[in-house]
Amino acid sequence: MSMRQVRVVSFLAVMAAIVIGAGLQSPPPARSQQAADVLLNVLGTGATKVNIAIPDFTLVGGADTQQLVRQLPEVAGNDLRFSGIFSPVTGTPALPASNPEALRKAWADFAGAGAHAGLQGLLAVRGARLEVEMRLHDLTSPEFRLIGSKRFQMPVAEFRRLSHKIADEVVLQFTGEPGVADTKIAYVNKASGSKELYAMDYDGASPNRLTSNQSINLSPVWSPDTRSLAFTSFMRGYPYLYRIFPFERRPLQLLAGFLGINSSPAWNPDGSSVALTLSKDGNPEIYVLAVATGAVRRLTTHPGIDTEPTWSPTGREIAFVSDRAGRPQIFVMDAEGANVRRLTQAGFNTQPRWSPKGDAIVFTSRQGSHDLWAVNPDGSNLRRLTSGGDNQSASWAPNGRHLVFQSSRQGGARLFTMLADGSEQQPLSRAPGEARSPSWSPRLP
Amino acid sequence: MALRRGSVLAVLPLLVLTLFLVGCPKRPATTAASAPAPAPAPAPAAPDAPVSPPPSAAAPTAPSPSAPGPAAPAPTPAPAPATPPRPSEFRAHDALKDVYFDFDKYDIRPNDARTLDTNAGWLKQNTGQLLLIEGHADERGTNEYNLALGERRAKAAMNYLVSQGVQAPRITIISYGEERPVCADKSEACWSQNRRAHFLVKER
Repeated sequence: MSMRQVRVVSFLAVMAAIVIGAGLQSPPPARSQQAADVLLNVLGTGATKVNIAIPDFTLVGGADTQQLVRQLPEVAGNDLRFSGIFSPVTGTPALPASNPEALRKAWADFAGAGAHAGLQGLLAVRGARLEVEMRLHDLTSPEFRLIGSKRFQMPVAEFRRLSHKIADEVVLQFTGEPGVADTKIAYVNKASGSKELYAMDYDGASPNRLTSNQSINLSPVWSPDTRSLAFTSFMRGYPYLYRIFPFERRPLQLLAGFLGINSSPAWNPDGSSVALTLSKDGNPEIYVLAVATGAVRRLTTHPGIDTEPTWSPTGREIAFVSDRAGRPQIFVMDAEGANVRRLTQAGFNTQPRWSPKGDAIVFTSRQGSHDLWAVNPDGSNLRRLTSGGDNQSASWAPNGRHLVFQSSRQGGARLFTMLADGSEQQPLSRAPGEARSPSWSPRLP
Repeated sequence: MALRRGSVLAVLPLLVLTLFLVGCPKRPATTAASAPAPAPAPAPAAPDAPVSPPPSAAAPTAPSPSAPGPAAPAPTPAPAPATPPRPSEFRAHDALKDVYFDFDKYDIRPNDARTLDTNAGWLKQNTGQLLLIEGHADERGTNEYNLALGERRAKAAMNYLVSQGVQAPRITIISYGEERPVCADKSEACWSQNRRAHFLVKER
């Protein structure tokens, strides 16, 4: 057997294993036009994932000195696996660029091995820039029809973003909503000796330190436009609220420096306001700060502790923590502070996080150690998401499907992700050691 | 099946729909020039430097924060208190003992009230001293909630001292939440030590 034949057979063996694992018999003939229908068809056969083949990209211009033709599919494949929808296979030889018959045969091999979809990338290296045309094929259709194609450009140094964008596009085609691979996660780490802010790609690549003030830095939260993070810091001695711009040469901005606490920031959906906790009027209360003017408007007036606001995606309601009923519980009020209603009844509940889809509020419940729970905004369907270790500080991905959170289940404090129903809990693939208080960014522009 | 590198892209038979436009995604801006900035802050924001340099114009006076925006009118008419001294200017004193709190509570317990009485006595004898009260929490509970809890504890201690005749303008409070523990064990013996108010003084 030639090397090529060995590789093809090996690939078929891998695909066969996937097919067996997925309980597939053979893909049904496609009757539909849209990738989303492909997904439905695949799931209708009893498979739980879409098998997608992503061979090495095809170099169509320039020189590839970094094996990007292999790296780009690997990163995109990891993104697609992370989405929970796909079972990718990568590492197989590149497809031909300009030989339709050979291409068709290659897709036929993949389809015969159980692949439902195929992704070809055509890569051109133009100096310091990469150009990729992605072509997504429906391998359940007799002619392996092209679902769609799209071109992306990125500097060579940011090649991972190119993969992320490709993966997000594939998810968009299959589900109607883009994936979340082209996002960042900010977090707190005290490896340097003090709690400082960091940011990294959602998959743990490229960690980058944002602060070095050697004081205490807490609670980073991305702005909706992804250009800044609000956070609490003791850098000037007292807990003030700041805004930092990680991607621009722009100075640190003081958002709130009142007497007492200035903490617990939460951006409203259009980024014009930050809800926060201030104790300047006698005890911790929730206010809304207009970012452009610095004006603050008070929302709560109870003499206990009111803190940790989180906005609904409509911007019309705010969930928050209050101890007005004894132990801390989750409450909801409208964005003017009226119509306060209680959401949780028992236990010790903090850190509410309203899903970007609006359908759930995840919060942290302390019963001995901490665990993440979820509840519908009307108070119904209370359910537990985690158990084992100490689990807290959740942050939603922009798709409202994934969450990142802090867990001690493997020692210390590390970042884990899961789906909104609590399934697929796993550590971040390239976790930065100790990390706390994560914030998942919106999709990068 | 030969793979010919560098060959021109073939036009594959597109049977149905090419659903996308060709497009280039924008990267986040890497220079200030591309950032449409709101009006810059009138008070210079401190660079991200170590804590020691004192704040310049960024005075933490209520109600107007040193916030961005050209005209930041005072939103509430409360009188502006004096700028508090930096916490690093205060020192502990043997005469001033810590007081402690029950879990998730900020009321002053009877024994701790006696400690506060003693502290109040010393403070009334030494009126040239400003007082900083730190409020702390143990590690249970989450960071933001503990910041608020620590604040309530410092406030409760302050209110008690004021009720015993210590002049309120001498006193500043600060909460460190769970961020400055005196011990790290996961035991009630340690936790109870961390649930505290701590007193520091500074010459006027």
